Amino acid sequence: MNCRDCLERLDQYVDRELTDAEIEEVKRHLVECPPCEDHFRLQVHLKRLVKVCCDQGAAPAHLRARLRQILS
Amino acid sequence: MVEVAEDAAETTGAAGQVPDRLERRGDGTRRPGQDQPGPGGAASRGFAEEAIDHLDTLYRGALRLTRDPVQAEDLVQDTYLRALRYQSSYQAGTNMKAWLFAIMRNLFWDRFKGGRPEDVSLDGDGEVSLYDTLRDETAMPEAEVLDRIAADEVVRAVERLPELHREVVLLVDVEGFSYRDAAEVLGVPIGTVMSRLHRARRQLQKALYEYARESGIVRADGDR
Repeated sequence: MNCRDCLERLDQYVDRELTDAEIEEVKRHLVECPPCEDHFRLQVHLKRLVKVCCDQGAAPAHLRARLRQILS
Repeated sequence: MVEVAEDAAETTGAAGQVPDRLERRGDGTRRPGQDQPGPGGAASRGFAEEAIDHLDTLYRGALRLTRDPVQAEDLVQDTYLRALRYQSSYQAGTNMKAWLFAIMRNLFWDRFKGGRPEDVSLDGDGEVSLYDTLRDETAMPEAEVLDRIAADEVVRAVERLPELHREVVLLVDVEGFSYRDAAEVLGVPIGTVMSRLHRARRQLQKALYEYARESGIVRADGDR
């Protein structure tokens, strides 16, 4: 696998959307290629950051109460 | 500054493991008794109860989509009303979170955006890679730059994405949906999910890099 192939699969790798065989191929390339490994680390980090930052806060209590009433 | 715990994105991004696509429900849970509700439904929880379990996550999604707390409340309430009306079309044991998100997403486009989305064309936009830029301009490790960016600014960067890109980021990165589930929610092919996601991430990198530069986290002249 060359860098181009690796970078093309990086989204899927980070998102766990590759097959076992494909995962192994990407892994093997990353071990040998520090620039691609850096790309990978940045992508993982960005994904975690987005998750952590956007996944905060609860629905307002009055909305929950209203919906409970509607749904009951 | 944001603390990103190592296990924070366990369900969304720990690469290198076998994809558990077939086992995974969009909400990452699988409740015994729901997949095969017995006669009389004694083992299954009620529709309303299960639906309300997803309220916080739907509200956060609505907030990111509408960028307005009042509109987000309206959107969520309408989503639940519609879900209630169409509850017979929901199959117990399938991915309720995905089902609710699909309802909400369609309502969002109908009510707030006046119709179904056209695909966005952003050729040339967002094609700046944070990695490449930082590599050229600073000596700071990229992850360290990201860690210095405030959580609010990350949320703002997500909210500034075009809606079609934003919703993919919400589903895949925030909610941990598989590409397949996201494609189903959005009613598009998996390839479209992938290309929108890729572009969204490039745009996020660009936005966060610009913020890092404006706020002095990195300097464009090569110094930290």
